[in-house]
Amino acid sequence: MLILAVDSATQVAGVALAGRDRVVCEEFVNFKRNHSEILLPKIDRVMKDSQCDWSQIAALAVTTGPGSFTGLRIGMATVKGLSLATGLPIAAISTLDVLAHNVVRSPALVAAMLDARREEVYFSCYDVQDRFPRMLLPMKACPPQQAGREILDLIGATGREQVILLGDGATSYHDYFTDILGQYLIPVSPHVMLPRAAALASLAWEALDKGQLDNSLTVKPIYLRLSEAEYRLQKGVS
Amino acid sequence: MNDINILGIETSCDETAAAIVKNGQEILSNIVQSQISLHQKFGGVVPEVASRKHIETITAVTQEAFARAALTYQDIDAVAVTHRPGLIGALLVGLSFAKSLAYALGKPIIAVNHLHGHIYANFLENPGIAFPCVCLVVSGGHTSLLYMPSHHEYHLIGETRDDAAGEAFDKVARFLGLAYPGGPSVEKAALQGQPGLYKLPRIFLDRDDFEFSFSGLKTAVMNLWRKLEKSGEADVNNMAAEFQAALVEVLAEKTLHAAKKFQVKTVLLAGGVAANSLLRSTIAEKAQVQGMQVFYPSLSLCTDNAAMIAGRAYVQYMRRDFAGLDLNAYPGLLSL
Ligand SMILES: [Zn+2]
Repeated sequence: MLILAVDSATQVAGVALAGRDRVVCEEFVNFKRNHSEILLPKIDRVMKDSQCDWSQIAALAVTTGPGSFTGLRIGMATVKGLSLATGLPIAAISTLDVLAHNVVRSPALVAAMLDARREEVYFSCYDVQDRFPRMLLPMKACPPQQAGREILDLIGATGREQVILLGDGATSYHDYFTDILGQYLIPVSPHVMLPRAAALASLAWEALDKGQLDNSLTVKPIYLRLSEAEYRLQKGVS
Repeated sequence: MNDINILGIETSCDETAAAIVKNGQEILSNIVQSQISLHQKFGGVVPEVASRKHIETITAVTQEAFARAALTYQDIDAVAVTHRPGLIGALLVGLSFAKSLAYALGKPIIAVNHLHGHIYANFLENPGIAFPCVCLVVSGGHTSLLYMPSHHEYHLIGETRDDAAGEAFDKVARFLGLAYPGGPSVEKAALQGQPGLYKLPRIFLDRDDFEFSFSGLKTAVMNLWRKLEKSGEADVNNMAAEFQAALVEVLAEKTLHAAKKFQVKTVLLAGGVAANSLLRSTIAEKAQVQGMQVFYPSLSLCTDNAAMIAGRAYVQYMRRDFAGLDLNAYPGLLSL
């Protein structure tokens, strides 16, 4: 059986078809954000290239965010439609978990970070010594300076000597993090810096084994931020 | 020939809607989840808030459409979806959902222009409407006049240069302290008041074209209201009545003028503002004098719904006018 994994929460759009121990097909693009045009054709190609039909699929998987509001909704709406038509369950995985899963069985502390614009990052930290990442901090949207402080605190608390930064948030604030994390920072190669649908599929198998599944009705996006209008209303600004 | 059942999905603004229509005529189900209460506290539709609500409710609304129609997913012949115009983030929720649903069911996708949907609402209830027609589409997002020689041809002959008519209703309602949405609340207040006691301009009425402008009317309301408040004569109901009369007069005159110029015998009204009873009766009276027939959808089909999308899609289905998996959404009215 296979999992069909779909991610369009950031500038990356990716689709993967993976068995428990085998990636069968993966399409990945990190270019313009024209996800609504390219995502479903990608799914179609991945299914066709793998000669896969729906009866071979055990579950669907989707990144729930954080990420671009519109991008993550395109992925989620797509998976909701597929799920409703096929009756397949959905493994809903945070984009930061998927990013963190690019580093496996390392003693280094992994910080997953997405550029949230407005001088902020979506951020969390992970222990990746086991096969699957374990989240050490609640996900949040915060200034890179706060993320930097929290990483340093975790280094102090856990005695880790190495930090790996993943995601386009780390790229955007590269100079800043190089400055403050100095000798702890381990550079990695670009192919692990962005969310990968194959990593999403791997986490989805874990969710499937644990029975942590959603369906078309229940799956929900994670925004980590109010809409601008709600934020203003809350602050009493008009 | 077999019956053709089409599922329609509509998320272009603040209604999450799904409907199933048989043969472009028979509404088997028509589910509309309105977000009005959600946007009320902002005084208008907030795009990001709308998109968030759409993704939350799209599945339930679609399931409900199938349940009410007593059909299974395989019983439909195509999935139709609004792909323009509208709020881009909102459109993309319905579009992405509809495309993947159709794909996994192995059914064709039909891309429907929201305005064509509004106009088609008339054909849902009156299949025998004779072409050519002139159509006035008036809503919170649009004020457009179209010349329609057949089911497949739409020529835009004029539209608003600034605010849409529904937008003008909303803005004036907000200014006068009336509830959102402004269309129904202004109409209700106007019933208690009298037009003509205050004098508002009929903008562009004297010009020989089909363009509209409502932002000047809105400003005139504000200026006059402030004066009246100073002299202690301000009456909300009379102001609502005069505003509605001014707006309706312009819409009606331009529409009838277009009908005469294009020598049509049929006038169609469509869109949320077509629910306004003064607009309906004014155009109907004027058209009767000219020997023209006027159609407007029943109230529930005037405002945004997916039955009009599924209905319109039937015309496209018969011509095998299907979209690809790469179908995208667009905010603008392009390619009428
Ligand atoms: Zn509309």
